[in-house]
Formats: sequence, structure tokens, C-alpha cells
Amino acid sequence: MIPQNFTYQAPKTLEEALALLADGTAKPLAGGMSLIPLMKLRLAAPERIVDLGRIPGLNYIREEDGKIRIGAMTTHYEIETSPLLRARCPLLATTAAHIGDMQVRNVGTIGGSLAHADPAADYPAALLALEAEVRLVRAGGERTLPIRDFFVDVFTTALEPGEIVREVVVPVEAPGTGTSYQKVAHPASGFAVVGIAARVRRGDGKIALARLGVTGLASKPFRADAAEKRLEGTDGAETDLRAAAAAVTEGVEANSDLYASAEYRAHLARVYAVRGLRSALQAA
Amino acid sequence: MATTITKTETFVGKRIRRKEDPRLITGTATYVDDIQMPGMHYAAILRSPHAAARILAIRTDAALRHPGVVAVFTGKDVEGIGPVPCGASLPGLRVPYHSVLARDRVYFVGHPVAVVVARDRYIARDALDWIEVDYEPLPAVADPEKALEPGAPAVHPEWPDNIAFTYHQEAGDVDKAFAEADVVVKQRIVSQRLIPTALETRGVVADWRSGEKSLTIYSSTQIPHLMRTLVAQALGLPENRLRVVAPEVGGGFGSKLNVYAEEILMGFVAMKIGKPIKWIESRRENFLCTIHGRGHVDYFEIAGKRDGTILGLKLKLIQDLGAYHQLLTPAIPTLSVLMMPGIYRFRNIRAEVIGVFTNCVPTDAYRGAGRPEATHGIERMVDMLAAEIGMDPAEIRFKNFVRPDEFPYATPTGLSYDTGNYATALEKAMEVAGYHQLREEQKKARQEGRLFGIGISTYGEICAFGPSPATPAGGWESATVRVEPTGKVTVLTGSSPHGQGQETTFAQLVCDELGVDIDDVVVQHGDTAMVPYGIGTFGSRATAVGGTAVYFALQALKEKIKKFGATLLDSDDVSFSGGVCICNKTGRTVSLAEIAAASYRAAKLPPGTEPGLVSTYFWEPPNFTFPFGAHIVVTEVDRETGAVEIKRYVAVDDCGKVINPLLVEGQVHGGVAQGLGQALYEQAVYDDNGQLVTGELMDYAIPKATMVPRIETDRTETPTPVNPLGIKGVGEAGTIACSPAVVNSVVDALSPLGVRHIDMPLVPEKLWRLIQKGGQA
Amino acid sequence: MKISGSYTLPAAPERTYALLQDPEALAASMPGCRELVRTAEDEYEMKMNVVISSIQGLFAGKIRVADKEFPARFRLLVEGDGKIGFLKGEGVLTLSPADGATEVHYDGEVQVGGMIAGVGQRLLDATAKYLIKRFFEKMAARVEQPS
Repeated sequence: MIPQNFTYQAPKTLEEALALLADGTAKPLAGGMSLIPLMKLRLAAPERIVDLGRIPGLNYIREEDGKIRIGAMTTHYEIETSPLLRARCPLLATTAAHIGDMQVRNVGTIGGSLAHADPAADYPAALLALEAEVRLVRAGGERTLPIRDFFVDVFTTALEPGEIVREVVVPVEAPGTGTSYQKVAHPASGFAVVGIAARVRRGDGKIALARLGVTGLASKPFRADAAEKRLEGTDGAETDLRAAAAAVTEGVEANSDLYASAEYRAHLARVYAVRGLRSALQAA
Repeated sequence: MATTITKTETFVGKRIRRKEDPRLITGTATYVDDIQMPGMHYAAILRSPHAAARILAIRTDAALRHPGVVAVFTGKDVEGIGPVPCGASLPGLRVPYHSVLARDRVYFVGHPVAVVVARDRYIARDALDWIEVDYEPLPAVADPEKALEPGAPAVHPEWPDNIAFTYHQEAGDVDKAFAEADVVVKQRIVSQRLIPTALETRGVVADWRSGEKSLTIYSSTQIPHLMRTLVAQALGLPENRLRVVAPEVGGGFGSKLNVYAEEILMGFVAMKIGKPIKWIESRRENFLCTIHGRGHVDYFEIAGKRDGTILGLKLKLIQDLGAYHQLLTPAIPTLSVLMMPGIYRFRNIRAEVIGVFTNCVPTDAYRGAGRPEATHGIERMVDMLAAEIGMDPAEIRFKNFVRPDEFPYATPTGLSYDTGNYATALEKAMEVAGYHQLREEQKKARQEGRLFGIGISTYGEICAFGPSPATPAGGWESATVRVEPTGKVTVLTGSSPHGQGQETTFAQLVCDELGVDIDDVVVQHGDTAMVPYGIGTFGSRATAVGGTAVYFALQALKEKIKKFGATLLDSDDVSFSGGVCICNKTGRTVSLAEIAAASYRAAKLPPGTEPGLVSTYFWEPPNFTFPFGAHIVVTEVDRETGAVEIKRYVAVDDCGKVINPLLVEGQVHGGVAQGLGQALYEQAVYDDNGQLVTGELMDYAIPKATMVPRIETDRTETPTPVNPLGIKGVGEAGTIACSPAVVNSVVDALSPLGVRHIDMPLVPEKLWRLIQKGGQA
Repeated sequence: MKISGSYTLPAAPERTYALLQDPEALAASMPGCRELVRTAEDEYEMKMNVVISSIQGLFAGKIRVADKEFPARFRLLVEGDGKIGFLKGEGVLTLSPADGATEVHYDGEVQVGGMIAGVGQRLLDATAKYLIKRFFEKMAARVEQPS
């Protein structure tokens, strides 16, 4: 389990890092919880690594103008235990608690997880349901994308060569919003066989807002728009939840592996959508 | 004489914390990979990516051109050494030549093809990528039943039927029993291939001293002495020129009860290059190349009366052997046959074993070794018979148990069960679990449409391996107890532990016999240069056999202590207890430390007595021991997803007398966790082409701490007369008992849907599909 | 691993059939293809550097086209070998006209070995689908160019 030779660079500033990454030939290293195992198996063999871990100022969770900004190098554990997130955007904190194990959460970062874009990662479901934004930077420029435009396909994001995730922006939840992250964890890897992030708000007795982020089911995480539409305006009765859940998998080509066939995985997604919505409604 | 205080505190039976734990949990223990030597070189092994292929050419020149690469060895370089030994014999057994490096052909994914020796481990690994091998892939077969089909690819071309051996055992009148039966139930039961997954992978350091013509091999092994004998033979080295050291060993579960190609290879390499060499197995290699366990397809038939009397059991056992025989590979299924009667009274048994070659890594002993497979089958069949005749699974067991007054009980498979009180253990488990109340709860749950199950397994075991005539390479154990001149006590044991805690339990024995403090006892093991020849730790034998050897060594030592005591006290009537020798007439005492000092000073030796206080004992057990117990598991299956929840786990185990309840519980916990692994999560999956697709811990699920439920442990205590300590052994009990209890429970949960049997692992999708189909497989 | 699916290419079956066997078009469309050399009638050797985010593998392989039935179907046999593993696949591509375009249906089986088989099974299915999709997308872009 020894990686191929590589050049290691540990810049002290973001500018320096972006300059080192600019030509797109180096791989940025954040927490390394996915990249390092891949390198040890030699499935990844980058010639140059730019470690972002020594750059100050990339690790923070703060509220500004009604939004919560999370630095890319913030660890899962910090997100899981952040009093600010627990109080103002609990979905992200509870989702972080489901990632891997304690060791992974202590080292892995939100920016690294997003950039790696494992189709079974946990954050994307929550961030999609939260309609989060990601701020991306590269040498000489930055842009902000809605999270749904960030995920392109399996392990593939909108990041251009030389570009990295700088920050994740999530909303401060309005009162009366209920959220839940429900996951079937693979017993070996801990990755989501399916993971459902549900976010609902009632208004005048009806469901005024419904957001469902889905991970693990397909080649990329996605928002279950049809399910959301089917739920909004209903009373949120059990039959409404089931009807919405049915829409989660419509037209979706589900992943299949040794642990869960496409058929079973789709079934789990529907079951967990109901459970997620139910629990989110209870919290609303 | 100085005033001495008689120690009255006893240690045996107490929950003493393990003496070995501080170094283990602070990272200060020395494992193979912690060994560093001047001039040490590193080896990496190139392994076949194909399950079956001809090797057309190997080009090593690119690797050899690198200045850091010292040597590359391939099959043609090692023709004089080996083979990898198989220590088991059966009539007509076909034994393929198991070269330490593949010669013209590879037989499984992971088969070693070349070994690179380099200045550091990084270059060694890099160099693997610089070796080119031309393979001509051949058809492979990975499934033992497919391997038996006509026209299947031949694993070894010389044996096109892929059969390594067949083995038949029969007792009673089976045909009559089945003819007279009211009910016959048949079931195919799979005990899937498992990957032992010791926390520490294997590793070898070999150090050749050319001047002394002596080789030292450090290996993460359960059997240092047997390894010395077998590796010396494989290398053509006189055994007394080889020293084997098992340093700290981080788990084995049977997977290190073996001699592997790498131990021989590293010895060979060290002698070739004249430098110390280190090889550490990666987790990938551990999955691909260290033995797997289980790998049974069993066809069971049970015959019974409507009143619940079991009449007989038939078994056709197909054992997936893999491509070669490792040390005990072909012997493992014969243990399943020995275990077939379980703890029941029926006398009619027929077993047909077919050992089948496949293009997979060999199977061999894994925690329980043949006995979990048998127990799983028996306990499933007993439940199926009970279901068929509408009897409670507890009741059918009570009806068929061998009774307490029938011991020693001669089994139809030729064993003599020492002692047992099977009904008491089950009664106790039922009491702890609240069995009758659970059945009421189940009725209610079923009315609510919930899938609520209660499962029982009542198991017996064959432990304390074993009488030498019945154990390959001998089944005795050695112990030396030495009181040093300062009164400190050193114990040398041949039963080299790999996590069991002998350093604590053996010290407890010493404390009570010699009246010393536990901190004054050091138990040493694992170094053939230090410890007299011994057998090792496996088959739940360490305490029952190795501990007994310590006990007998202590008895002899005590006699000698008394002789020295009598001399020092100038008395002919002394007794020794609590760490002092006392003159029964005057009441004068002399301490053990004083006696020890005098024994080495030897100024005045008792008549006919040698100086020093050292005693060595080789104990040959007259029989195996036969622990038993009853586990009860309550489960609920999620109707929507098929997920299993363990609601209760009750374990009542009877391992005879207990030296340290804390360690016994630890063994039960660990054993149950591994049983749960088999029942719910683990399966080594080879695809049709012989690729191991569960090749990492990302895909192969072993239970993690959060996945193991609270285990309610309790005990009954039925001592064995086989050894004077009354100890039976407990290392494998949890594993043996667990899987049938869990599967019986889940089948019970799904029985309202008509489910009769489910093969392990009980993964949610499998159960969901059964639920979807209303129980029809 | 079984692989099947379909993709619509915006050209008539005759042109699609030709493109799907055109070394240049194949080289340009196959993810990571660095080199494709014709070695015999309907046989090619290729070198690929497959990159999916962090994961990267160099493969050397062969492609063979067989059982040709212009313009309706042909069989494709692929094998590749690299340090991270090997693959061997075989499949039938069936072309049927669909409103001036062509629906290409593929149905085949791929054997994977080595490291990618041992540690990749969780993601093999999704990754294979992704690579096939990328291939057809590039092919579609090429079809849309005037020939």
C-alpha cells in the first residue's frame, strides 16, 4: 500500500496554492480521506500534490447576511459539532455526523468531499436540499455556482483544471423548517447505499416548501424535483409522502453493486424518502 | 529468619485486567513491522492478477536496472526449496506441489510470481510495476459445485475432476433410521467463504548470520515451533540452525496457524542476499493470499419422529479447498463430520465429504474450523425439524440432549464427551432471555404485522486440541516455570498467544500456586530460542492444555521448593502455601525468595536435589474437552427494507472452570462478533473468473463496534475431568454458537411468510426479496 | 458485469455504422484514447489513459470488429491490460433507424480483473455507464460535424 512517487508542495497562502495548481497538472490535497487511499492502491497516481492544509483562513463556519459560510477546509467533525450549524442549519450538521467514522470526520473536509464527488457521499444530499452555493476559485478568478450545477457525473464536477472549492454557503433556516438526513450505510465502507436529505416547511397548514436531496442512488447526487412538486401544497399526510417518494426514483437509472441491486436501491430510496420526510415534518 | 507474610489473596476466578494491555493500547508493543535491523532490505511480491493462466515469460531486467533493486527472484530460482507444507493426511489425498513461487502456471488471483528485493520498501513496491509478465489466461472455476460439473475447467490439469479427496464416515443404521422416520427434512446450507481479517496482517523478517550459519525468522504466527520444523525442512536447513520468533501477534483466528510461502521465501532471500529482509503483507494481499475460512456447501437430511425424537442425520459436504492445501486445509471438513452429532442422542450418521479444488486462495482453519459449519447445519436442521412437526425449538432440544448421567458419552463419530449439562445451560439462557415472555411478545408483534423472531442454538464443541494421536503434529503442550534467584517468577509457554491473554491467566495460576504477586510473574512465549518446543495457540487449547502444562510444572516445582524449605528450616515436616514454607512443628517460615536465593547459591543442597528452581512439563491431554452452551437471539426484520435488528443477544456458555471471567467474556464477545459477521455481513465473493471482488475492507464488511449489540453473558460451570484445572476452553464458543442462533431467529421472524431457511449472510436485499415474494425463494 | 443501454446518434444508420467502425472517430471518442492503430482488417491496437477525477489508469489493448451486418449490427470485442487491472469485453451493437437518426443499442458483458475488480466493485457499474455515455456524446458531436 505504497503510492507512486510524487512531488509534494505545501503552500502557505491561497494565492500561492492557486498558482501551483494553475496549470491543472497537480492534484489538490485537502483532508485526503479519499485521495490517499486511492494513491496507496495506485488507482490515483498524481505526479504533484498541493497540500491545502497549511493555508490559514480556509477553516471557518460563520454567519453573514443571513447565510452561513463554511470554509472548504472545515472538517466534518467541526461541521457536525458546530453550535452555529446545530442551531441555524441543523441539516448539514446532522448529515456530517453520518460520514464515515470518527477518524475520517476528524480529518476529512467539506471542500475535499465535494471536489471528489463520490456518488455515494453524504454532504451532497444535504447541500442540494439546502440549495447551497459553492464558491470556486482559481488563479485570477472566482465564481459561485448553485450546488445543483456543481455535480456533473460520477466523480465529476464543474471544477475546471486548476480550480478548487473555496467555500460552501448554506442558508440560515427559517423558523418552522424541519429537516432530516436518513441513510442506509454500507456495512463495510459506510458510504450511503442511499441517503435522503429532506427539508420541509409548513405554511397555512400545507407544505409550503419541500426539498429532497438524494445521494447514492444514481451516478450523481440530485434534487428530486418531481417529488418536491408533488408534495408542496399537500397536507403532508402519509399518502402524500408516499406519492412524493414514488417520484424520487422515476426516470432515475439506479446504481447497482454487490450489496444492492438497482431495483432494491431504488426501493430503499423510496422507503427512506418517506422516512426522511416524515421525520422532517415532525421536526417542522 | 525474617518475618514473612503469608499471602492469602487468590487470583484464579477473579476479573484481573490483562497484563498485556498497557503496551498494546499505548502502541509500545513490538510487532514484526516494528523490527528494524542494520542493513535491512525489503521485499515486495508480484502476484498474479489471473485466477488461472500460463506464464509465458517474465522480464525482470527493467526492475533490476534500478540501483535500489538488489534482486528479483522468480519460480526458476526457488526450485530447490519448498514446497509449502501440508500437514494433514487423508487416504488417497491428492496433494498438488505447492511451489513458493509460481513456476509455469498460476492457480489463483494473488498467487506469488516474483519477489523483488530492494533497499527500501518504496523502491520494492515501485519495482513490481517494472516487471513484465506475459500470461496466457486460462478458464478458471471459483465455485466448488461448478468445479464438480463435467467439463469444468481443471484447476490442476492432472486431476480433471477437481476432486482432492473424498471422505466417508458412517455410524448406526442410517437407512433404517430414515425408513422408520415420520419426517425427513432436507436442506442445502451454505457456509460462505470468509476472510479472517486479523487486525495485524502477516509479516516476516528474516536474518541470516552467515558466520554462524544460522537463520532467524520473525513471523506473525500462532505456531513458532511448528514453523521452525517445517521451514527448516523447506529450506534444507538443520532445525537447530533456525530460530523462529513470534513477537506481538495482532490476531490470527487460525489464519496464522499456518506456514506460508512467504516465510520460506524470506528465509531463502535472507540467505541469498546475506542481509536482513522484511516483508509486510498489505491488506490487499491479506485478503487475496492469506487463507480463507469456511467455504462449505452442505446437503443435510434429518430424520425424526413426530414426537420430536431425532433419529439420524445425513450430510453431503462439499468443501471448497481453493487451489492448494495449506497446512491443515483437507483436515478441516473432517472436524465438521466429528461434530455432526452435536449434543444430541441420535446414533445414526452418514457423512460424505468431497474436497474440491477451485481457482481461489486455499481455505483452512478459521475460528471454529469445521465446527461452526457443522453446528450451523445441525442447529438449522433441528429447527427445521421442529418447525415441520410444530414443536417449540427449545422443547425439541430438551428432548434430544445427551443426559447428564450419560457421561462420559461415546458419540457415534468416535468421540468421548467428557461432561455436560446441556439442559441446564439452555434453561439458564431461557431464564435470562425470558423465553416464554418473549414468545408472548412475539405473538403480539405478529398480530401487529411485525417480523419478530427468537432463535436458539445449543452447541457443543471439540476443544483443547488435543490428544496427540488425533492432532496433526501432536497435541500436547510444554511449560517451564522458573523461580529466579530474587524470587521473581518466569513462565515459558509453548502455546504462543496472539491476543488471548495467557500472560495474565497463566500468571494467575502461578500466583495461587506459589503465593506470589501478579506483578512478580512474567510469562514469555513465542521465541524458539527461549521456550522449549511447543505446539501453539489454536483450537481453544491454550489454557486447557498450555495452562495445564503450567499447572503440572508448578506441582513439580512446589515439591522442590519444599525440599529447599525443609533444608533451610532444618525440618522434615514442612508445607508450602501462600508464598512461604512453614515448619509444621515450629511454625517457623521461610519465604519463596529466600528459598530461591538459597537454591541458586546452592551452599547446602537437599539430598538428591539439583540447584535452581526450574521445572519443565510436557503435558499430553488424554482427551479433547467438550464445552457447550446455549445462545438466544431476538431479532426484528424491517418489513420495508429487510434490515435485521438484533434486539437481544443472550449467551450462556459453559467452558468448565474459569480462571478469569473478564477474559472469558472477552472471548465470548469477540467470538459472537465474528459469528455475527458471518451471519449478517461477511462473504468473500469470487466472480465467475476467479476475481475476488470483495478485495478490500471497503467492500468486505466485518462488524464494527457500533454494529455489535450488547451481549448478555452468563455461564454455567461444568468442570472437565480431562485436566486437573477442570478447564474446557472458550476461544471459539461465541463464533460457533452465534451464526445458527441468528439465522434461526431471522427464519423464525420470517416464518409467518413460509420461510424455512435462508443462507448467510442475511443481507437486507436477500430478506427483502423473500418478503416481497411472500417467503418463496 | 453485464452492460446494456442505448443512445441515439443524429445520423442515418449507414453513416452511424461507418463512424462506429472508423478508427479516427473511435480514437477521438473513446475516453482517454491516445493511440489507435489498425493492425489487420477490423483489428486495432490502442493505448488509453482513462481518467476519472483522481482515478487514472493506462491501458494497452485490442479492439476487434466481427459479425458485421451492415448497417444493422456488429460485434465488438475489446481487451485492455494495465497496471491497475485488465478488462475483456464483448458486445453486440444493434443499429435501428429512428426519425432520421439512429438508435444504437448495446448489449454485452465485461470481465474485469486485477486491482479494479478487487477494490472497485462499488463503483464499476456507475463508472462503466459514465465512460459509455462519454463515448457516445463525443461520437454524437462528431456525427453532427459535416462528413
